[in-house]
Amino acid sequence: MTTTTAAVLVPLLPFLGAVATLLTGRRAPGFVRPLAVLPTLAAAALAVLVACRQGGGQPLDAARRLTPTGSVPIDLALHLDGFAVLVAVLVTVVASCVQLYSTAYLREDPRYPSYAALVSLFTAAMLLVVYSGDLMVLLVGWEVMGVCSYFLVGHYWETEAARSASLKAFLVTKLGDVPFLFGLFLLASDAGTFRITGVLHTVATGSLSHPTLTALLLLAGVAGKSAQFPLHTWLPDAMAGPTPVSALIHAATMVAAGVYFTARLLPVFTASTAALLVLAVMAAVTMLGSALAALAQDDIKRVLAYSTVGQLGYMTGALAVGDRGAAVFHLLTHGAFKALLFLGAGVVIHAAGTNSLAAMARMRGLARRVPDACWTMTVALLALAAIPPFSGFFSKEAVLGAAEHAARGEAPGIPGAAGWTVLLAGLVTALLTAAYCARLWLMCFCGKDPDAAQHGRESAAMTGVLWVLLIPTIALGLAAWQLPDWFDGRSLAPTLPTSLLSTGCALAGGLVVYGAWRRTQALAARVPLGAVAADPEAAPAVSEEEAIATHLAAYGSIAGAQDPADPGRLLLGPLHRHAATGFHLDALYAALFVRPVGAAARLVRFLDREVVETYVRGAGTAPGWLGAAVRRAQTGNVQTYLSVLFAGSVVLAVAAVLVASGA
Amino acid sequence: MHLVYPAVLAALLFCTGLYGVLARRNAILVLMSVELMLNAVNLNLVAFDVWLRDKLHAGQALTLFVIAIAAAEIGIGLAIVLLVYRARGTADVDRLRDLREDAPAEAREDAPVEAEKKAEAAA
Amino acid sequence: MQILLAAILALPLVGAVAALLPAPPGLKGRSPEQAVLRHGVTVTGAVLVLAVALAAGFDRHHPGRMQATTDVGWIPALGIRLHLGVDGVSLPLLVLTALLTFLCALHAYARTPEGPSPKAYVALLLLLEGGTLASFAVLDLVLFFLAFETVLTPMYFLIARWGGAERERAAWRFILYTVLGSVVMLLGLLLIGVKGGTFDMVALATDNGSGLSHSTQLIAALAIGTGLAVKAPLWPLHSWLPDAHTAAPTTGSVLLAGVLLKMGTYGFVRIVLPITPDGAHTFAPYLAAFAAVGIVYGSLYCLALALPSPGRHPSTKRSALPLSFGAGGDLKRLIAYSSIGHMGFVLLGIATLTPTGVNAALFANIAHGLITGLLFFLVGAVKDRYGSSDLDSLSGHTGAALYGRAPRLGGLLAFGAVASLGLPGLAGFWGEMLAMFASFRPADGLSRPAYLVFMTLAGLGTLLTAGYLLIVVRRVCMGGNGERQVPHPLPALPDLRRYEFAAFSPLVVLTVLAGLWPAALLGLSDPAVKQLLGGGI
Repeated sequence: MTTTTAAVLVPLLPFLGAVATLLTGRRAPGFVRPLAVLPTLAAAALAVLVACRQGGGQPLDAARRLTPTGSVPIDLALHLDGFAVLVAVLVTVVASCVQLYSTAYLREDPRYPSYAALVSLFTAAMLLVVYSGDLMVLLVGWEVMGVCSYFLVGHYWETEAARSASLKAFLVTKLGDVPFLFGLFLLASDAGTFRITGVLHTVATGSLSHPTLTALLLLAGVAGKSAQFPLHTWLPDAMAGPTPVSALIHAATMVAAGVYFTARLLPVFTASTAALLVLAVMAAVTMLGSALAALAQDDIKRVLAYSTVGQLGYMTGALAVGDRGAAVFHLLTHGAFKALLFLGAGVVIHAAGTNSLAAMARMRGLARRVPDACWTMTVALLALAAIPPFSGFFSKEAVLGAAEHAARGEAPGIPGAAGWTVLLAGLVTALLTAAYCARLWLMCFCGKDPDAAQHGRESAAMTGVLWVLLIPTIALGLAAWQLPDWFDGRSLAPTLPTSLLSTGCALAGGLVVYGAWRRTQALAARVPLGAVAADPEAAPAVSEEEAIATHLAAYGSIAGAQDPADPGRLLLGPLHRHAATGFHLDALYAALFVRPVGAAARLVRFLDREVVETYVRGAGTAPGWLGAAVRRAQTGNVQTYLSVLFAGSVVLAVAAVLVASGA
Repeated sequence: MHLVYPAVLAALLFCTGLYGVLARRNAILVLMSVELMLNAVNLNLVAFDVWLRDKLHAGQALTLFVIAIAAAEIGIGLAIVLLVYRARGTADVDRLRDLREDAPAEAREDAPVEAEKKAEAAA
Repeated sequence: MQILLAAILALPLVGAVAALLPAPPGLKGRSPEQAVLRHGVTVTGAVLVLAVALAAGFDRHHPGRMQATTDVGWIPALGIRLHLGVDGVSLPLLVLTALLTFLCALHAYARTPEGPSPKAYVALLLLLEGGTLASFAVLDLVLFFLAFETVLTPMYFLIARWGGAERERAAWRFILYTVLGSVVMLLGLLLIGVKGGTFDMVALATDNGSGLSHSTQLIAALAIGTGLAVKAPLWPLHSWLPDAHTAAPTTGSVLLAGVLLKMGTYGFVRIVLPITPDGAHTFAPYLAAFAAVGIVYGSLYCLALALPSPGRHPSTKRSALPLSFGAGGDLKRLIAYSSIGHMGFVLLGIATLTPTGVNAALFANIAHGLITGLLFFLVGAVKDRYGSSDLDSLSGHTGAALYGRAPRLGGLLAFGAVASLGLPGLAGFWGEMLAMFASFRPADGLSRPAYLVFMTLAGLGTLLTAGYLLIVVRRVCMGGNGERQVPHPLPALPDLRRYEFAAFSPLVVLTVLAGLWPAALLGLSDPAVKQLLGGGI
C-alpha cells in the first residue's frame, strides 16, 4: 500500500463506518459497536503508518480534480507534512479512545447507533481537514464537524440546556464561518487556486492583495472554531452534551481545527503585522478571561471547558509569535491530557451522581471509589498546570519560549508587542491555571462527609482508556527534542528563565488555592448543598443527563453554585459573580445580535404583510373599482344599450370620414 | 334604374327600423324593426351588386345568407319572446330589466373575501 | 436519441389523455381509482426511464453541443418550428423533473389525494409533467412560451381542487400573478422574434445579440426578465408563492418548488443571457440587488415564522429564544419563504454574468429541487401524523420530540434542514458557495463594490438560514423536560411507512451524491454555460 492510498483510507474508513452504522444501526444492533470502534482503530493504525512513512520529510502532495467551477477549480488534494501526519495520529488515537469509552458510557442507550455514527463522521471530517490540501475541501470537513458537534451536543435533547447549547454551538461557529469563507475567496482569487501549496506560493512571492483583511477574515472563522474570544461562548455551553463528545470536541477535533488551520497557513498571517497583533491580543484576552471564568464554575465539565479555551489561547499565542511548531506541540500534548481529563470526569460524574463540584466537595471517599480516575486525573491536572516533568510543562514552555524570543525582537517579522502580550498573559494564566486545577482537584477528591453514595463499578472499557491516555500525558513532553525535525526545525526545548518563572507561577497559584481551601473548608459542613441523580445503577449517560437537567433547578444557574465553601469564591471576591457567567458576554450578544435580528424579522413580517401585500392587493382592487364604475351603466334596458351603441358607431363613422378626407 | 332610388329607400327603411328598435316597447315590434333594418341592408347589397356589375355576385350571395340568418334569428327570437311572455305575462322590454346593476346588489356582496376574490379576478 | 427526446415529451401528454378514458379490461385493478393512480405511476416511471436513458446516451464530452435535436417546421407562416434538443444546461433539469413527478405519482398511489376524482388528478399531473419537460427541451421562443403556459392550468386545478384551507384564493392568486408575468414575457419574446427575424433560440443565441439593437435588447430583457422573475420568484414579486405552497397538496408543493420555479431561472440562462446580452448586462446589478435582498428577506421572514409566538406559552419564558418576535407559522409557509431565499442565490449567481455564477445557479437549481422537494414531502408526512403543520400547535411547550416519537422521520427532517442550510458535503452548499464566489468577482463592467455588498448580504442570509432551520429542528424534533422516560411520555407515532421511504430515499441519496461529487453536474453545465455566455450553443 502506498502512503497516498493509506492516507486516503484514513478519513475514508471512519466515514464508511458512519454510513454503515446509519444504514444498519436499527436493523442489526449487534454490529453497531464493532462498526463504530474497528474503522476508527484501523484508521489510527494507518495514520501511524502514514506518519512513519512521511517521517517529517518533504511534504507529500497528491491531487485529483473534484470539479470545475467555471473559474477556480476545486481539487481533492492531499498535503502531508509533519504537522498533518502527527495531528492525524492524535485525532485517530483520541477518537478510538472515545469510541471505546462510549461503548460503555452509553450502554443500553437506544440512540447509540446514531451517536456512534456521528462520532465516526466527526472523526472523518476532522481527518479531512487535517489531510486536505485544498481549501474548499478543507471547508467541507470544517463545516461537517460543525454540524456533527451540533447533533452530538444535542444528544440529550430532552434537556433544555442541550437544546439551547446545540443551537448556539452551530450558530456561533457559523458566525465565524461566513467571514472565513470570504477570506478563502480572497485567497483563491489572489492565488488563482484553492490549493494550499498554491496559496503559500502566492504568499511567498508577496502577491496577496489585501493581507490584513484576508488574515482578519480567516481569523473570524478560526476564533469561532477554536473558541477564541469573542466567539468562545459556545464551548462552555456545549458541556450539555455527553462527556465522551466533550472529550472528542475539546481534545482532538473541533477546536483543534482552528489552530491547525492557522498553523498551516501561518505565512498568510505573518504577512500582516496587524493581524499578528490582533491574534496576540485575542489570545491574551482569551487566556486570562477563560482562566478567571474557570475558577468560578461549579460544573466540573465547565471548568475543563474554560481550561480548554485557555489552552487554545496558548496555542493561538504561539501562532501570534510565529512559532507554529510550539502551537502544534501544545495541541498534541493538550489533546492527550484533556481527553484524559474529560473521560475521567465522566467516570467521576457517574460515581458521584452529579456534575457539581459543590456537591462533590461534600462527599467523602470519592477518590477511593474511582481510584483509576483519581490517579490518572491527578497526573493530567499536573500536566495541565504545567508542572514538570509532565507533558504540559514542555509544550507550554515551548510556547512561552517562543513568546520570549519574539519579545526580545529576535524573531524576524514578528512585532515585539505581540511577544510581550503573549508572554505576560501566558505567565499570569499559568498561575491561574494552576489555581483552578488545584481547586478542581481539592473539591473533587478531598470532599468531607457524608460518604459518597454507592454507585456501580465502572467497566474496564472506561477505566482502561484512561490508563492508555496516561502514557502520552506523562511522556509526550520528551518529544520536544524530536519534534523539530517534523516541524519547522526550531527548537522546542525549555529554556531556563521561562521555566523557572512559569513553574514558580504555577506553584504559587496552587498554594494560594490550597490556603484558601483550608480556610473555607469549615464552611462546607454548615451549608448542605447538592443534588444526586436518582438511579445509580443506570448507564453513566443517564445519570449525566439527569445531572445536567437538574443543575439549573438545584443551584440556580447552569454555571455557578451558591457555595460559600468554594475557594474560588474567596479568591475572586466580587469578580466571582461576573466570572461565573463568563463576563456577561451572552447578555451582550443577546443585545447585539439576537435582539436586532429578532426585530428585523418582525419588521420583515410587517413589510410583507403591509407593504408588499398592499401593492398586490392594490393591483387587484383598482380594476375592481373601475369595474364597479362601469357597472353603473348597466341599466338592464336593451334599448339604452343599443342607443349608446348607435351613437358610438356614428361617432366612429364621422371620425373615419374625417380621417379619410384628411381633415 | 338609378342607384339613388334603392339607396334612399334602403336608408328610409333602415331609419324606420332603427327608430322601432330604439323606441318601441313591445319586444315583437322590436324584432320586426330588426327585420326592417336587415332588409334595408339586403336592398343595399342587391342594388350595389347590380351597380358594380360584380362578376361573382357577392352582393346577391350575401343577401341570401342574410335572409337565411334573419329567418333563423326571428325564429329563435320569437320563441324567446313567447316564453318570456308566458313566464312573466309581459313582453315589454322596458320592464325586462333583470340584468341591471343596482345599488342593493352591490351592498349584498360586501363580504370581504368575496369582494377581494372578485377584485383579483378583475385584475 | 431524437426519438427518445420526442417520446419523453409526448408520453406524458398521451398518458394524460389515456388517464381520462376508462381503463382497458386487463388493467382494471382493485378499483377505478387504484387503476388510474397506477397508470400515473407507470407513465411517469416510463418517462423517468426514458430520461435516464437519454442521460446515459448523452455525449458527456461535448455537453455544450445541442444533442438529440429534432427540427421540423410547424407553422411556416410565422416561422415557428418544432425545434427540440438538450445540452448540459437542460439535461439535469429534465431528469429532475421526471424524477420528482415519478415520486409524486408514487406518493399519490400509496396515499390517494383528498379531493375529487383521482382520474383528473393523474391527468393533470401528467399534463404538468409534459409542459415542464417541454419547456426545458424546446428551442423555439414561441414553443417555450406555450410550454411555459401549459404548466399553469394543471397547477391551478391541483391547488384549487386538491388543496387545503384557502385553496381557491391561493389558486386565483397563483394563476393571475403568473399569467400577468407571462403576458409581459410574451411581448418580449415577440419583440425578439420580430426584430431578430427568427424565433429559433439556437440561431439567436449564436448571434449573441448582434442582430438586435441596443434598445431592443433592453426592452426585451426587461419584459422577459419580469415575466421570468415572477416565476422564479424574485423579491418583491414573490407573494403568490407562500399562499400557493401553503394551500397546495403535498405533491403540488413538491412539484411547484422542485420544478416550476426552475423554469424561471432556466429561462434567464437560456434566453436572457445569450440572446440579449446588452440588456442582461444593464439589468444585472438590479437583478442581483433584488436577489440579495430576497435572500435576507426570505430568511428573516422564516425566522419570524420559526420563533414561537408571544403569549402562547408563558411557561417557556426562560428559553433562549426571543419569544416576543415570533409569529408562530405554518411549516409549509416557512419552507415556501425559504425557497425565496434559496432562489435568491440562484438569481444572484445568474446576475454575476460569469460562468461560475451561472454554473452555481444551475447547480443550486437542482439542489433546491431535491432538498425542498424532500422537505415538502417530510412536512406532508408530519402533517399526516399530527394533523397540523402549525409550528406552535405542533411543538407545545418544549418541542414535538419527533426524534423520540418517530426517529427515522425526525432524523430525515434534521437531514433535510441541514442540507437546506447549505452544509458542505451536501448538495445545497456548492450552489450557494459558488454564487457567492461569483459575486466576489463579477463579470467585467459590473460594479465590484456593489457585488461585494450583495455577497455579504448573501453570507448573512446563510447565517440566518441556519438559524431558522435549526430552530425548526429544535421545536419539531427535540423536546422534553429533561427526563428520559421509557416508554416515551407522548404516544409513539407511526415511523416512516414503506411508500414514504420509497419516495424520500432517492432524494436523500441524490442530495448526498451531488454534494460529494459536484462534478457530475458542474462538469455537464460548465462547457455549455461557457458557450452560452460566449455566444453560440
